[in-house]
Amino acid sequence: MTIANKLEVMVVDDTSVSRMLITESLAEIGINNLQLAKDGKQALAALMSKPVHLVLSDQNMPGLDGLGLLKALREFKPTSKIGFILITGSPDKSLIERGKGLGLNNFIAKPFNTRTIRAAIEAVVGKLS
Amino acid sequence: MIAVELEEKKIHLVQGEYKVSDDPRVVFSTILGSCVGACIRDPVRGVGGMNHFLLPGPEVGADARDVERIGVHLMELLVNGLMRQGASRERLEAKLFGGARMMQGLSDIGQKNTEFAHRFLKYEGIRIVGGDTGGDRGRRLQFWPVSGRARQSYISTGVESANRASIGRTPAPAPERSVAGDVDLF
Repeated sequence: MTIANKLEVMVVDDTSVSRMLITESLAEIGINNLQLAKDGKQALAALMSKPVHLVLSDQNMPGLDGLGLLKALREFKPTSKIGFILITGSPDKSLIERGKGLGLNNFIAKPFNTRTIRAAIEAVVGKLS
Repeated sequence: MIAVELEEKKIHLVQGEYKVSDDPRVVFSTILGSCVGACIRDPVRGVGGMNHFLLPGPEVGADARDVERIGVHLMELLVNGLMRQGASRERLEAKLFGGARMMQGLSDIGQKNTEFAHRFLKYEGIRIVGGDTGGDRGRRLQFWPVSGRARQSYISTGVESANRASIGRTPAPAPERSVAGDVDLF
């Protein structure tokens, strides 16, 4: 069994087309154990009751944004070690530095493709297959 | 009582750009060939925005899903920009313009762009309340982001033909003259 088969991932994005595109790429990589959330608040509630190994989250979302979600996860012991990859259309240096300060593991710039998603995940969890 | 007419602030967009404003004096404008311009607004918050996008064609080597991702990114930038200014996703409404077939004999890029925009808006639950797409003429488009008023005028195909040699497959025609007059679309 490969890491990809075992990995439990949550995808958080308020744009349903983006969630679908991320899900398709993950399926292509072999990651099928997925939870989906449409914003940070929904993701946080789900993760607090059932943590996953890795979160792929959009940054710009209403209510709780990507870094807000990251901060909340790091402050709650059962979710504090979850791998966190931020997906953002504006990966400016200050945003990424702020993310690193909160314990961000990696980021993906939009528009992404399957190769960049795979590379970003492997940099966090190791070779997927 | 004396009515004071506010001076318009004209902002022009080129391909790949998006702009958002809640200033009633602002009017966005752009020139569309096979590109699509999406005008999206939250009528309650009184904020609107426009983008101008062209999905890459097959000749640049991108596969269909990569093309889709680029399009999604460009639409998301506009939607996120609106939400940053207080718009509510549930209230958003859109008008679509452009997507003309500018070159006979080549694949219909305009239609591909229009179909993508329709698909995106449908998936995101954003209502389409107006617009004008397709045909074989370029358009000059103006959009008032607060009122949601849109105005377009067609651009002469003769002008487009004259520019064909120099612009290759680039869709944006030169805004020389209007042949159909301005049309207000609400």
